Amino acid sequence: MEPIVSSSRELKAKTYIVLFLMMTLGSVGNTILDKGMKGLGPIDFSTRAAIWQGAFHTFTSGTIWVGICCMLLFMVCHMLVLSWADYSFVMLFSAITYALVPLLGYLWLREYVPFTRRIGIVLIVFGVFLVSRTPPRTTPSMPDGSSS
Amino acid sequence: MRTALILGFVVLTGTCGEISLTHAMKRVGEVREFSPAAIWRVLLRSFREVWLWIAVGLMAVSFYAFLTMLSWYPVSFVVPATSLAYVAGALGAKFLLGERLSAGRWAGVVFISFGVALAWIDLPTLQHLRNLYGVSRDLIFVVALAPLVFYLFGACAAWRFFRNSRARAANEAGDFTPPVSILKPLRGLDRGAYENFASFCRQEYPRYEILFAVSGEEDPAVPVVRRLVRDFPGIPIRLLVDPERKGTNDKVGKLCLLAQEAGNPLLVITDSDVRVAPDYLRKVAAIFRDPQVGAVTALYRAIDAPSFGAVMDTMGSLSFSGSALVARALEGLKFTMGSTIAITREGLAEIGGFAPLLDMHSDDYELGRRIAQKGYRVELAPDPVDMEFPSESLGDYLRHELRWLIGLRHVRRGGHFGLLMTQGIAWAAAAAVLAPSLRASAAWIFAYLIIRLVSGYVIGVWGLGDPVVRRRLWLLPLHDLFWFVLWLASFGVNRIEWRGLVFTLEKGRMIPVASRPEGA
Repeated sequence: MEPIVSSSRELKAKTYIVLFLMMTLGSVGNTILDKGMKGLGPIDFSTRAAIWQGAFHTFTSGTIWVGICCMLLFMVCHMLVLSWADYSFVMLFSAITYALVPLLGYLWLREYVPFTRRIGIVLIVFGVFLVSRTPPRTTPSMPDGSSS
Repeated sequence: MRTALILGFVVLTGTCGEISLTHAMKRVGEVREFSPAAIWRVLLRSFREVWLWIAVGLMAVSFYAFLTMLSWYPVSFVVPATSLAYVAGALGAKFLLGERLSAGRWAGVVFISFGVALAWIDLPTLQHLRNLYGVSRDLIFVVALAPLVFYLFGACAAWRFFRNSRARAANEAGDFTPPVSILKPLRGLDRGAYENFASFCRQEYPRYEILFAVSGEEDPAVPVVRRLVRDFPGIPIRLLVDPERKGTNDKVGKLCLLAQEAGNPLLVITDSDVRVAPDYLRKVAAIFRDPQVGAVTALYRAIDAPSFGAVMDTMGSLSFSGSALVARALEGLKFTMGSTIAITREGLAEIGGFAPLLDMHSDDYELGRRIAQKGYRVELAPDPVDMEFPSESLGDYLRHELRWLIGLRHVRRGGHFGLLMTQGIAWAAAAAVLAPSLRASAAWIFAYLIIRLVSGYVIGVWGLGDPVVRRRLWLLPLHDLFWFVLWLASFGVNRIEWRGLVFTLEKGRMIPVASRPEGA
């Protein structure tokens, strides 16, 4: 049976949509988990009972579960996009989050961004721009995964 | 050292995990529907992939190591340092997943790696980087020893092989003499062609025939073969003319015909520029007394070197002989060489004959590999054959060595990449540049020269008895320099020019460039 192959345009569109979803879910999930864990305060590891109590508080927190759900969806998007796109494309493209986090911090929270970090952001954005000019897939496509 | 170890561990396990995940998802297949039910089906299929669980395990280990690293160092060091994962990931994608990384994507790797490092670095981190540089330098010193060990091991393997084979040859009567068909696919004339062919007619062997094949009567080899028929009336010699082109590899096309016409159970195939001693067939055939032997191949040496390109070619064959002897000592030979491929009809039938190799670039290598895969041993003939190298220019030599390296990359990626550990001159130069003193730098260069030349002498002069190596051994480091540059170049090239035609290589198969579909 001949493999069903997406057209180049369709491939690019779905790759960018899923990558965007993946990066959003990853960033939001990390932020929510960060906020949730900070809200619980430092976990006490001094006694066995304290560890159990910390685990109980962690897994009964609604915020933590929202964060976990985001990270699970992030993983699903990651798996889906890897079913057709090159690993080298996905890996490099998702590096944009390293630039987005300090950029958003500067734009929304008016955080100080040192000079080296600004240069780093420019390099990352330029690198991702170069990668985006390459085709998302350079290996032969496998048969349709969702049809069986 | 602790920093380098944990960093290497985080990067390697993380990258291997991501590569395993990609492999698992590629096996699941491209997702085209995005309804919840379709996505759920894909997830269920992916859970059945063992590679997914290997990926999960590796990523979990990597994450734990990452947390450990964070507990030792500030995040402003950990994040920039782990940006090495982009380089490791790109290399893994290229060599393990077979992705094609264009210049644009490689540039992206460089910019992103430096960008991530710069975006997260701070001043205290610079001290860590200085320490990291010291560790990297120590690691390079350790790795630079690998080619020297390889050269010494090659010399030991050669010593053992030639000493044993000479002792065995002296004791063996060589009375195992099955009838042999010598197969000679020809195209054009090599230097000393008549003498090369005549050496096969002077074999001290009870029953054998020689079959030549050409594409047309106009081939300049035809009159030479006809003269041979006149000069050796006692030897059954046949010339087959077949203009039909059966595949991209013309030599294999001729071998298909020759094997079909051959009347004896043992087939011996040699390149047209090979010359042999009168006891050659007897020694090659004797090895087949052991039924576990599936194929016999032979090392080779130069008769003379009429040009500088031919001298470099001779140095190349010396290096290749060293690698073949190391491979034989470590895991047994898993390939054959065009200088000699002896194979039984049964063995050839088991691998499907020559037809599956019709489009292969490295047909000689492939044939041996397939025989070894069937569980047979590939053995080396006790004596090298003589080779009449053409009077080639340095440019010709560089082009065909590059073609050979590109071919190797397509049939044996790991082996091609592993050549990194045999690049003695490059590692010695790197170690000399990084060495803390001038004396230490000189010691690295001196160690490389001495060990390389001693190893070359043992393999080339004592073992192979190569007269060109004996006279020009001092040029071996120059060959190593060319070889290193060609090896680097072979990573970025997929096109080869062979006998006037241009091909691209895909999984070892030659695809004529003109016949590729548009946009492929």
